[in-house]
Amino acid sequence: MKIAYKHLVQHIKEAPSIEHISNKLFQLGHEHEIDGDILDMEFTPNRGDCLSINGLLRDLAVFYTVDPNQEVHTEKLNKLQLDFENLSKNTCPNISFLKLEIDQVPETYKNSLDNYFTDLGLNKNNFFTDVSNYLSYETGQPTHCYDAKKMGGKLLFHEIEKSEEFETLLDKKITLTGKNSVFSLNDTVINLAGIVGGKNTSCSPNTKAVIIECAFFEPEAIIGKSVKYDIQSDASHKFERGVDPECHEKVLRRFINLIDEHANIKEMSIISYKSKDNQIHQIPINVKKINQIIGINISEKEYLNHLSKLGFDVEEGLIKVPSFRSDIKTQNDLAEEVARVIGYDNIATSKISIPNNERTNNKAIENKLRFFLLDNGFYEVINSPFVSLAAEEAIKVDNPLDSNREYLRTNITNSLLENLLFNERRQKDSIKLFEISDVYSSSNGISKKRKLSIIASGRVGENYKDFSKKINKKYLVMLFQEILPNEVFDFKLVSRDLLDTKIKNEIVSLEIDIDKFSDDILRYEEASSPPDNFNEYRPISDLPSSIKDISYSVKDFSKIMDLTNLLLNYQSDIVKNVFIFDYFKNEKTEEIKIGFRFVFQSKIATLTASEIDVIYNDIKSKSLDIQGITIPGI
Amino acid sequence: MPDHKDITPPELTKDRGSLHPINHMKDSIMSLLVSYGFEIVDGPEIETEEFNFDMLNIKKSHPARQMHDTFYVENKSNLLRTHTSPVQIRGMLEKKPPLAFISGGKVYRKDDDATHLPMFHQVEGIYVDENVSFAQLKDLIYKIIHSLFGKEVELRFRPSYFPFTEPSAEVDILSKEGKWLEILGCGLVNPVVLENCNIDSNKYSGLAFGLGIERIAMLKHGVTDIREFYKSNLDFLSQFK
Repeated sequence: MKIAYKHLVQHIKEAPSIEHISNKLFQLGHEHEIDGDILDMEFTPNRGDCLSINGLLRDLAVFYTVDPNQEVHTEKLNKLQLDFENLSKNTCPNISFLKLEIDQVPETYKNSLDNYFTDLGLNKNNFFTDVSNYLSYETGQPTHCYDAKKMGGKLLFHEIEKSEEFETLLDKKITLTGKNSVFSLNDTVINLAGIVGGKNTSCSPNTKAVIIECAFFEPEAIIGKSVKYDIQSDASHKFERGVDPECHEKVLRRFINLIDEHANIKEMSIISYKSKDNQIHQIPINVKKINQIIGINISEKEYLNHLSKLGFDVEEGLIKVPSFRSDIKTQNDLAEEVARVIGYDNIATSKISIPNNERTNNKAIENKLRFFLLDNGFYEVINSPFVSLAAEEAIKVDNPLDSNREYLRTNITNSLLENLLFNERRQKDSIKLFEISDVYSSSNGISKKRKLSIIASGRVGENYKDFSKKINKKYLVMLFQEILPNEVFDFKLVSRDLLDTKIKNEIVSLEIDIDKFSDDILRYEEASSPPDNFNEYRPISDLPSSIKDISYSVKDFSKIMDLTNLLLNYQSDIVKNVFIFDYFKNEKTEEIKIGFRFVFQSKIATLTASEIDVIYNDIKSKSLDIQGITIPGI
Repeated sequence: MPDHKDITPPELTKDRGSLHPINHMKDSIMSLLVSYGFEIVDGPEIETEEFNFDMLNIKKSHPARQMHDTFYVENKSNLLRTHTSPVQIRGMLEKKPPLAFISGGKVYRKDDDATHLPMFHQVEGIYVDENVSFAQLKDLIYKIIHSLFGKEVELRFRPSYFPFTEPSAEVDILSKEGKWLEILGCGLVNPVVLENCNIDSNKYSGLAFGLGIERIAMLKHGVTDIREFYKSNLDFLSQFK
């Protein structure tokens, strides 16, 4: 909600700066951003009472001397003769109607009404609707204006449960479905209660006679409707969060005053229907409890002074909650009020000491497995559980985000297969992944299994001993047998026949329930632990990479170190990785053959062959400067 | 000149994988909390409305219960938990105070953009004992934030609203760029929630807090798009060794 700073500060005696008000609003828990002289407020859903100038002023009265100074019509009003019946009093216990007729529609606006449109840069609509909108901004109470000339017949407030077409005053045609609270005139819906009025009874720029409806609707009747019908209205936002059930007369008298400032009123009459009195909520004064909840020590006098500034009255040992504060019901609610007034940041900390609980680690086996896999070059991944392929026992999501993924996965391997292909498309030739996750199915009620899945394909590793070895079933079986010799693992080969890939490497996978692993795994001693420090992430490139290999013949072994230092530390924006993929010492010829693989990739654009060659040639040239080193073939 | 026949071959570096940065962050935070005395409890990701909402004082009319915010499954008979709080409800129903639980794991909401995903991770904690106060909650939060972001970090507490805590707060830290960033939500357990779990709210009070793991991991690692965590791209994952 956008609120102009000047509309607030004109009611505050101390005339604080916007920054000063901003700090106080944060202390009170009212998040906002400042845009010039506008405060763009975002209130928590329990503070519907703050959605207005007056609402904010009520909270700011804790810090400032506040005087809303808004004149209201004070004279006695005639009773309006209206053919109205309320058939849903539980939804709308209080409702008032005011009828006004003016002799001429004003051409320009004055005072606060004019400031509202000018300062917030809002578009005008028609006179009565404009006053209604301003009044909602000022008081927090939405009102709805019907053109009185279009309102002949019986007006009904009721709940309907039938499909009905309805055209809103914003020219949007909707079909009402399910239960809706509506106003009907002669059996035609003219207003979707608390959300938006209808076109057929709306005011126009020529309207001179108007019936203004001012109601309290239970939030439960309004919530969800604006989303359902895709209508975002100020009224629905306020009614969903709760408005003051006791403000009608004051609001309508203020309405009269605003009209009176702009036009000659020929006729005015009012009627109110109240099916139940608002219960004043009362909470016993208990400053000891308040001190205990917050962890402070204030006197009762100080406590009541804080509440008084927020509009709470005290009578016979009871705190009377104002009608606009429907969120206050308990001592904890009052404690929060006091804490807000003091300022959360001004409450001193009190040392906490939590008694030691038993520490069972039911993830010990799972964590050992993770570290074992890590030590062997596997990367842990996490996948979304939403999938398109439905196994018979898959659980169906009633309202999926993507209709192509409306089931929960019943296995992890398919997700890992997608991950593997994703990385293969990015020229990765050694892929080892694992995931541990709960997997759900509805085979027998909803059942949960915690599973480990691994998938691997391509080279065993980058180093010169593993580079030429390919991952296969035997490799993985031996790996697991090393730590769990007594267990049998059912590694499977995944066929590439149906996969969109030309790569031929074997894909090996395993999916197994975690509870199938024995405690034997706990004997495994991990080679290293995960880092304590959290690395600063370097953005990655999605552009294609290119590979260049260089093989050297080294006769002077003392130069090996110079060569590896030069190449492994070679710096270039487009060299993404370099490693020794081949190493062979020929004892007979007293010669070492050593091969380096360079992976080139840019973060900006796909590299051309000539761009790569510039660096490649530089690498070759610098390395050949080292005596006793040659590149066979050059 | 060294004897060239004794040359040492280049080091055979063993390729090491990495934990997923989100799991690593979650594990780190949970280990920290265990060191404070919290006990880890686990619960299902598929929950009932009763445990996910009703027991936590989230009314039927609360926006979070709408179909556009929560994933429902099997003809609305169950839902994908929208937070890890139901695990604590289950814990409180099982044990008597004093109790201190943490739960961590996947949660689901119908969101999908650069800062929100339909699946993300939370760690939540609850401590119920006699005379637990907001001032003690602040002490705990300071300890957590200082451990995560260093003792120099500036933080602030803002009043907020959660149906299951009262008073409620959100905690921001000041970034290097001078911007306040929301880090966690916390508060004193709403007495209604304690009573729902058969705990005498006149005798006991509790504190609760919840952290979004992705949010913290993004800040700690400088990742700006949450979706990077879940592409399973080896170029990304290999940075977290």
